[in-house]
Amino acid sequence: MAGMLELKNLNKNFDAVHVINDFSLEVFENSLCCLVGPNGAGKTTTLDLITGRQAPSSGKIILNGVDITGKAEQAICRLGIGRKFQIPAIFRELSVEQNLAVAHSIEINPIKNIFSFSSKNYKTKMDEIADKVGLSHRLPEMAGNLSHGEIQWLEIGMLLMQDAPLLLLDEPVAGMTEGEVSKTVDILNELKKIKTLIVVEHDMGFVRRIADVVTVMHMGSLLAKGSIEQIEKNQEVRNVYLGTEDE
Amino acid sequence: MLASIVNPLILGISIGSILLISALGLAVIYGAAGVINMAHGEFIMLGAYSTYTLQSTMGMPFLLCIPCAFFIVGIIGFVIERNLICYLYNRPLDTLLATWGVSLVLMQSSRLIFGSDVKYIAMPEFLSTNLELGILNFSTFRLFLIAVALILLFITWFIFYRTRLGIKIRAVTQNKEMAASFGINAAQVYSITFAFGAGLAGAAGAMFGALSIVLPTMGMHYVVEAFLMVVTGGGSILGTVFASTLAGEIQSIFAFIFNDTMARGLLFILIVVLLRFRPQGLLSTGSGRR
Amino acid sequence: MRINPYNNVKYQWAVYVVFFIFLACIPTIVGDDVFLLNQLSTYGVYGILALSLSLCWGFGGILNLGQGIAFGLGSYGMAMTMQLQSQDILEDRIPPFMLNNAVETLPAIWEPFWNAGAGISLALIVPTLFCLIFGGLMFWGRVSGPFFAIMTLAMLSAFYTIFIDLQYLTNGVNGITPPMALEVGPYLVDPYSSVSFWVVFVALLLCTVVAKLITQSKFGLIVQAQKNDPERTRFLGYNVALYETIIYAFSGFIAAIAGCCFAMLTQYVSPGQFDVGFSISMVIWVAIGGRASLLWGMLGAFMVQGAQSYLGDQFLSTWLLILGFFFILVVRFLPGGLAGLVEVILGYFSSNSSGTKGSNSEPKRVD
Repeated sequence: MAGMLELKNLNKNFDAVHVINDFSLEVFENSLCCLVGPNGAGKTTTLDLITGRQAPSSGKIILNGVDITGKAEQAICRLGIGRKFQIPAIFRELSVEQNLAVAHSIEINPIKNIFSFSSKNYKTKMDEIADKVGLSHRLPEMAGNLSHGEIQWLEIGMLLMQDAPLLLLDEPVAGMTEGEVSKTVDILNELKKIKTLIVVEHDMGFVRRIADVVTVMHMGSLLAKGSIEQIEKNQEVRNVYLGTEDE
Repeated sequence: MLASIVNPLILGISIGSILLISALGLAVIYGAAGVINMAHGEFIMLGAYSTYTLQSTMGMPFLLCIPCAFFIVGIIGFVIERNLICYLYNRPLDTLLATWGVSLVLMQSSRLIFGSDVKYIAMPEFLSTNLELGILNFSTFRLFLIAVALILLFITWFIFYRTRLGIKIRAVTQNKEMAASFGINAAQVYSITFAFGAGLAGAAGAMFGALSIVLPTMGMHYVVEAFLMVVTGGGSILGTVFASTLAGEIQSIFAFIFNDTMARGLLFILIVVLLRFRPQGLLSTGSGRR
Repeated sequence: MRINPYNNVKYQWAVYVVFFIFLACIPTIVGDDVFLLNQLSTYGVYGILALSLSLCWGFGGILNLGQGIAFGLGSYGMAMTMQLQSQDILEDRIPPFMLNNAVETLPAIWEPFWNAGAGISLALIVPTLFCLIFGGLMFWGRVSGPFFAIMTLAMLSAFYTIFIDLQYLTNGVNGITPPMALEVGPYLVDPYSSVSFWVVFVALLLCTVVAKLITQSKFGLIVQAQKNDPERTRFLGYNVALYETIIYAFSGFIAAIAGCCFAMLTQYVSPGQFDVGFSISMVIWVAIGGRASLLWGMLGAFMVQGAQSYLGDQFLSTWLLILGFFFILVVRFLPGGLAGLVEVILGYFSSNSSGTKGSNSEPKRVD
C-alpha cells in the first residue's frame, strides 16, 4: 500500500546552505505522524515544501498518487492539505464565526461567492466544529481578543471547516498551559480517527501522548523513524536530540 | 551617424544620473528605516527654494548652496521624523499617508511664502556652456550632474560602510531588537537616517532647481520616478543605482525612437510588467516571512 | 457580551435609508436654484468616487492612489460621446478642436462613440478592463500594500502626461467641451435641471446598495480575510490575487460611473481628472470620513468639498494647508476617521447602558 503522502528525495538549498538534504517520508492514511528534531533540523521548511510555500530544489512530493511538486499554495490546498502555522494565523479583525465561515472553502469561485449571503448550508457543521474545539460560546467575539490557547484551537477549527483530509500542524501546543495541552491532546486523538495528520513538535511529552509514528529529522535529513518506544531507545536520537532532556 | 547613436547613450547616462540623484535619499530612507516617504518630492522642492533664497538674499555662490540645502532640508527632515514619523514605524500604509499629508502641507506653505510664480536659480558661468568633443556634444551642467551623482553616492557609501554610524544603521536595519540589546539607540539611528535622506533630497533640489525651474509643485514630478527606481531596484541603494542607470538608458533610447512622453509611458509599462515577474525588484533575493 | 450597535447590520441599513431619503429631499429644499442643484449633483459624483475608494481601500485593504485613472477614462468616454452627439455623422464629422490640430479624418478610436449606447458602454468597460489587466499583473506578482499604491500613482502620472501629449485625440491640456447636453433617446439630460440630479442620485443609490451587498456576501468576507492575512487566506484554498483583482476592478467600475456622471454634469473634461492632486483629495475624503465605512467615506467627500467651495478661491491655499494638517492628525491619531470616533462613542454608550463592562470589544484599528 502506497502512502497518502510521499516525499521522495527532497532537497532544498538557500544559496550554499543545505536546509533539506535527501529527505524521504511516507505518511499513511488515518495516522498521526510526528516530525521532531532540534531547532534548524528543517521541520518547518519540510511543511513549506509540502504546501507549496517554497519550491524544493529537487525531489518529488506526491499526494494520493498525484505529483504536486511546485504547484501554487491554493492549488495544493484544494487537493486536500490544510496547514496550521507556527505563529497562529487567524483573521484578527473578524469574529470567530466569520473566521470559521471563511475557512469553509468549498466554493472558491469569487463570482458565485458574491451572490452567497447565507451561512445556512454550513451552519450545523460550523456549530459542531466550534463545539469540538471548545469555542461555541465565543462565536461573536473578535478573534484578536481570544486567548493564546483559544487562537490555536480556532486555527485547528478552521482546518476542520476547510475539510482537508491531510492536516499539517506546526507546533500546535507552543506556549499553552498544561490544561490547554491536555485539551489539545484530546482534540488531536479524536481527529486522527478521521484525518491524516503530520505534527511538528518539540515537546516529547506531548508527542508521546499523540503519535502513531515518529520521524526524527537532523540537519535536514532523516535520522530515525518508528514508534515512540523505538525512537526513545534509539541511541543516535538520544545523542543529537533527546540526550539532554531525557527524564 | 555614430553621433546619433552615441549621443542618446550619453543622454541616457545623464537621465540616469538625474534619476539617481532624486532617488538616492528615498532609497536611504526606505532601505534603512522602511519608511515610504511621499514627502520626498517636497524635500527636493525645499532644497530648490533654500538655494533660491540663499542666492537671492545673500548672494551665496551656487556650489556652496548645495551643501547648505543639504543641511537645511536635513534639519527639516529631522524635525518631521521626531514629531510624526517616529510614531508610525509599524504602520507602513499610514506612514505613506502621513508623509503624503506632510507633502501637502509643505507644498502649500511654500506657495503661501514664495507665491506660485516661477523662480530661477542662477548657475555659475562654467556650468552653462556646451562641451564639444569631435562628434560629441553635451552641456557641462549635465556632466556636472553625473559627477554630483557619483559624489553623493560615494558619500552615502562611505557613511554606510566606513563609519561607526553606518555600522549602527545597518545593524538596526537587519535586526532592530538585537541591535537594541547591544545598546544601539534605534530611534536615534532612524532619526539620523531620515535626516540624511532628507538632506540628500535637499541637495538634489539645489541641482534640479538650476536644471529647470523652481515651483511649489515641482516635487511631484520627481517623486514618482524616484519611487519607481527604488521599487524596481528592490529597495537597496545598489539596486537603485542599477535601476536608475538602466532606466535612464532605456528612456533615452525610447525617446530617440518615439518621443519623450511615449518614452516615459513605455518605461512605466515595462516596470509594471517587470514587477509582475520579479516583484522583489531587480537586485534582491527572495523574501522570507513568518 | 454586547455588540456595538455600530456593527449591527440592520441599524446600518436603516441609516443608509435615512441618508438617501434626505438626499432625495434636496431638489425640494433647493427649489429653483439650478446652479446650486448642479453643484450639489457634483458632490454626489464625489460621493460615488469616495464610495469606490472606501470599497477598495477601507474594505479590501488595497490603497489605490490612482483612482483618478478609472474616473478620468470614464469621463473622457462620456465627453467623447457627448461631443459626437453634437456633430453630424455625414456632414460634420470632425470635432472643432481636431480641425484646429489639422486632423482630417476622424481617428478610428473615436468611431464607436457615434452611438451613445456604445460610447457610454465603452466609457464603463475600458476603465474596468484597465483595472483588470493592471490589477491582475500586480496582484499575481504579489505586489501589495504600499508598493501597489506607488504603482497606481505612477500609472496615474503616466496617464496624465499621455492625455496631454495626445493633443489630436484629446485636445491636450484644454480638454473636451461638448457644446450640448447629453441626449438619451429623445430626452435631453440638462445638467442644470433636476433631471441630472436624479440621474446622479440613482447612480449613487445603486452603487451604494450593490457595494453594501458585496461587503455582506461571502465574497466580501473573503476580501476582508485577505486584508487581514493574505497568506492564511491562500492556505485555505482561495486565489487571493483573483479576489483582489475583482474588488479593485469593481471599484474602478464605480469610479468610471462617477466619471460619466461628472462629464454629463460639467460638459467638460480635461487631464485635470488625472491630476495627482485630485486623487489625493479622494484619499483625504475617505480617510477623514472613515475608510472602513462606505457611508462615512461619502460624508467625508461632502464635508471636505463643501467646505472647500464654501470658503471660495481666495482662501484655497490656506484651506489646503489646513486640510493637510487635518489629514496628518487623522492618520496619526484617528486612523478610523470620524466613523471610528462615532464607533467609539456608540460603543461607550451601549456598554454603559447595558451595564456589562470589560467584555465589550475594543474598537479595532483598521488599516
